[in-house]
Amino acid sequence: MTRLPLTRLVKLASRQLRRELRAGELRVLFFALLIAVASSCAIGYFTARLNEAMTVRATEFLGGDLALRGTSPAHQTQIDTGLAIGLKHARTIEFSSVIAGEQAIQLSSIKAVDGAYPLRGQLKSATEPQGIETVGGLPAPGEAWVEARLLPALDLKVGDRIEVGRKTLQITRILTYEPDRAGDFYSLTPRILMNLTDLAATDVIQPGSRVRYRDLWSGEPESIARYRTRLLSTLDPSQRIEDAHSGNRQLGSALDRARRYLGLASLAAVLLAGVAVAMSANRFAVRRFDASALLRCLGLSRREALLLYTMQLAMLGLAASLLGAFLGWLAQFLLFYLMADLLPAVLPSGGIFPALAGMGTGLIALAGFALPPLAALGRVPPLRVLRSDLLPVPPRSWIVYGMALLALGLIMWRLSLDLKLTLALLGGGLVATLLLGTLLLLGLNGLRRLLASAPLAWRLGLGQLLRHPLAAAGQALAFGLILFAMALIVLLRSELLDRWQDQLPPDSPNYFALNILPAERDTFTARVAALSPNAKPLYPIVQGRLVTINGEPARDVVERESRGDRATRRDLSLTWTDTLPTGNVITAGTWWSTKTPDDLPGVSVEAQLAESLKVGVGDHLSFNIAGRILETRVTSLRTVDWNTFQPNFFMIFEPGSFTHVPVTYLTSFYIPPGNDRAMVALARSFPATTLLPIDSILGQLRSILDQVTIAVEFVLLFVLAAGLTVLFAGLQSTLDERVRQGALLRALGSERLLLIRTRRVEFALLGATSGVLAALGCELVTALLYRLVFDLSWQPHLGLLVLPLAGALLVTGAGLLGTRRALTVSPLRILREG
Amino acid sequence: MSASILIAQNLSKVVPSTEGELTILHDLDFELAQGDSLAIVGSSGSGKSTLLGLLAGLDQPSGGDVVLAGHALSGLNEDARARVRAEHVGFVFQSFQLLDSLTAMENVMLPMELEGHRDARMRAETLLTRVNLGHRLTHYPRQLSGGEQQRVAIARAFAADPKILFADEPTGNLDTTTGARISDLLFDLNREHGTTLVLVTHDERLAHRCNRLIRLESGRLITPEA
Repeated sequence: MTRLPLTRLVKLASRQLRRELRAGELRVLFFALLIAVASSCAIGYFTARLNEAMTVRATEFLGGDLALRGTSPAHQTQIDTGLAIGLKHARTIEFSSVIAGEQAIQLSSIKAVDGAYPLRGQLKSATEPQGIETVGGLPAPGEAWVEARLLPALDLKVGDRIEVGRKTLQITRILTYEPDRAGDFYSLTPRILMNLTDLAATDVIQPGSRVRYRDLWSGEPESIARYRTRLLSTLDPSQRIEDAHSGNRQLGSALDRARRYLGLASLAAVLLAGVAVAMSANRFAVRRFDASALLRCLGLSRREALLLYTMQLAMLGLAASLLGAFLGWLAQFLLFYLMADLLPAVLPSGGIFPALAGMGTGLIALAGFALPPLAALGRVPPLRVLRSDLLPVPPRSWIVYGMALLALGLIMWRLSLDLKLTLALLGGGLVATLLLGTLLLLGLNGLRRLLASAPLAWRLGLGQLLRHPLAAAGQALAFGLILFAMALIVLLRSELLDRWQDQLPPDSPNYFALNILPAERDTFTARVAALSPNAKPLYPIVQGRLVTINGEPARDVVERESRGDRATRRDLSLTWTDTLPTGNVITAGTWWSTKTPDDLPGVSVEAQLAESLKVGVGDHLSFNIAGRILETRVTSLRTVDWNTFQPNFFMIFEPGSFTHVPVTYLTSFYIPPGNDRAMVALARSFPATTLLPIDSILGQLRSILDQVTIAVEFVLLFVLAAGLTVLFAGLQSTLDERVRQGALLRALGSERLLLIRTRRVEFALLGATSGVLAALGCELVTALLYRLVFDLSWQPHLGLLVLPLAGALLVTGAGLLGTRRALTVSPLRILREG
Repeated sequence: MSASILIAQNLSKVVPSTEGELTILHDLDFELAQGDSLAIVGSSGSGKSTLLGLLAGLDQPSGGDVVLAGHALSGLNEDARARVRAEHVGFVFQSFQLLDSLTAMENVMLPMELEGHRDARMRAETLLTRVNLGHRLTHYPRQLSGGEQQRVAIARAFAADPKILFADEPTGNLDTTTGARISDLLFDLNREHGTTLVLVTHDERLAHRCNRLIRLESGRLITPEA
């Protein structure tokens, strides 16, 4: 039981805290915490809001937050459930139909939409081909909006009439952008958009017609999630749910990486703040040894003294957290304000969670990093008032590091890095710290031997470090961590940006050509080669369906709603080639090098599909191709880079596998801007071939990647700024003793120059050592991260060699600035102040 | 003789050293009555400060016992000893031991705040005025001279109305004139408050102002009590 009533202790703690804050004692700790919470909050808000904004953009690819797709209309119960949850609903119906103009006919892809469509994103259209785009609107009943490429095919212009089945529609606008076209860019035929109310009158949809129904839904994320769950149990075999993540592979992977990057950047900010809090909390504790001894002398029990300081720290933490959360919120606000031109006008608010999470992060960091040194305060022997050499028994080091690790682990878990990664990073970090710390101690001890013959400035400078090798190693590790966090974020940023740049180089194919006839293959290739600086190879295409796996019906083998299930329900585009396409990597088996034992033709299967189909190398697959069964044996599995805009295939056959089957060819190529006429000419020369422009999809993808890139750059700047601040604050907390020593040297008659040299040697060595540690740590951690999180290939980063120099410069600069008092203020004054 | 406020019984202190055990204090016995003043003198390393630490309950003896204001300290744990200190003991140190982050006034208020005194501020002001620092109330220790800091420390020592005051070389860090003023102040206040004073000093003149004196050499009493 405490002797002092708790209320009195609380009062005393708050009074002491106010006094100490006023006296400037707690500035470093307060600011360290402030930075921790502000940066964590700012990044949290920034990430949350941007994430939501990006998801909103991504949902444009669907035209809604969730789409229920099927070959028959959604059941009324499915619709009612969505409406009952309070979601908004829109319906589109797509089908192919031959459109008759006055002179010609053209197979077209018709989409009938209701008045609510689209729920996300907007249509764009123009009054004439190449005209100025306007945003929004819908074809009214009796109207059709058509893609520009339909007009030359039917020799039509805006204002003319077309017949869709039995209904005549007037072309009123040119459709230039359809938000949900992106997920479907293999569509073969030009698009006609019409109003759903006209559909019945066309009379084209008959039982057995191939029609694609899409019911689009939008609403609060929780409601969407709830609806999704309910839908799952009511799905027909022909129905499929799509959302922002399943809609588009290219975008999905870019967004996922961006999210992970932002999460990691938050972690870096927390790590930085943690280092700052740890260093300044240690200083807080050390500077209170005397005060604690005095309080014990004045009659406070051990528990009361501990409670008093814990309460002070908690109050400080709470105050800094509140202010930090507010500053963080302001900072992200400023970021969004700066980026206003690039982002949607109305951004989601982000809610209160990032603020709470940021505050929680700060308080966890404070508890993890500050409580262990604080615990020492409770153990200060009261006899210290008579003998100042008496120090408290230090806490067991496993408690100190255990607390810090636990705090970091909690924060990483909060940032939703998965358990495997959290453990890998913590474990890797621990091993790296122990290893590097030991090396550092050995190095410092080795240095001691060389020191005897060194010049005075070196002896004094290094002497400072060598006198307390553990403290010096601790400081080098702390600064190393700061540099490491900064370097890691810089490295990942370049890797991600390069990766996105690679994904969408300026000459990314912006046209797909389908249905190229074998007879026209060579002339088509020659014509495209003349126009395109980047044309992909032509792949032969045969439509076929997977029917059996090792003799069993394929649909019995796969799980419902799995990727494999979907692949067995539709015709697959099958191809053959003797060279492995770029972006494909064999993960099992070999590429046509050996004949299969039973002389069956070989097939190479995309690895993820193979997993879903539960097939491996050596398994038998049979395909139904134009009514004939083809037996094959799996000879290899491949991973495919879906991020490339080139034809990619689930199944690639050995050349010569198919005979006597009708074949067309498929390719993709890049056409520089300004070749519209040439493309029209190309389309006219090859009437059977479908040319599909995907510029709008590329544009949409590029704008999202640009947005993400800016986010990444801003976060990088934020982490760097936080890093520098923490470095300075952290160094500040180690300077008391150095300032005092400097004053002593001056009192003993040392020249200022010697003092400056001494400091330079000391700080440069400390900084360079930190740089080396940071570089080694960075290599270790990136090797882990690239493999486990970012799916990037790892190679040594020579650029990290600059870290020791950067560390030396930064620490020296900050150190000289921090210790200038030893040079400018009267040494007597400093020594008197103790 | 009035009731003893402080009793040392067979008091000894042994500490481990590189050459085996080192006995710092050998079986000391003495008593002190309420209102007495006792000087402990001796050369450096004679065990004076160790003895002070034991008498004030800041440290535990290896043998014997200290009875302070009726409490046998060796039977108490550190927290219980802290309670005894809070109730009965005041301190003045050679190095003043003021808290840097508190003003003169706040330093003096501290022990009273620990006790929950409502009039801590008023009483601190009175005490500081009494030690001639009424004009320095809001100054921080670093803005005060050594003599002034020690006067703040003395004001703080008397703030909680202790029964017994322990002073460790109270003039050790001060020049002769300032030291003399400080010792005057100490004895004046001691008399005014009726406090028992135990002081450790090198200063023979200061020591002889006490009505009792013990001299230590290598941890033994060499002068019988005067």
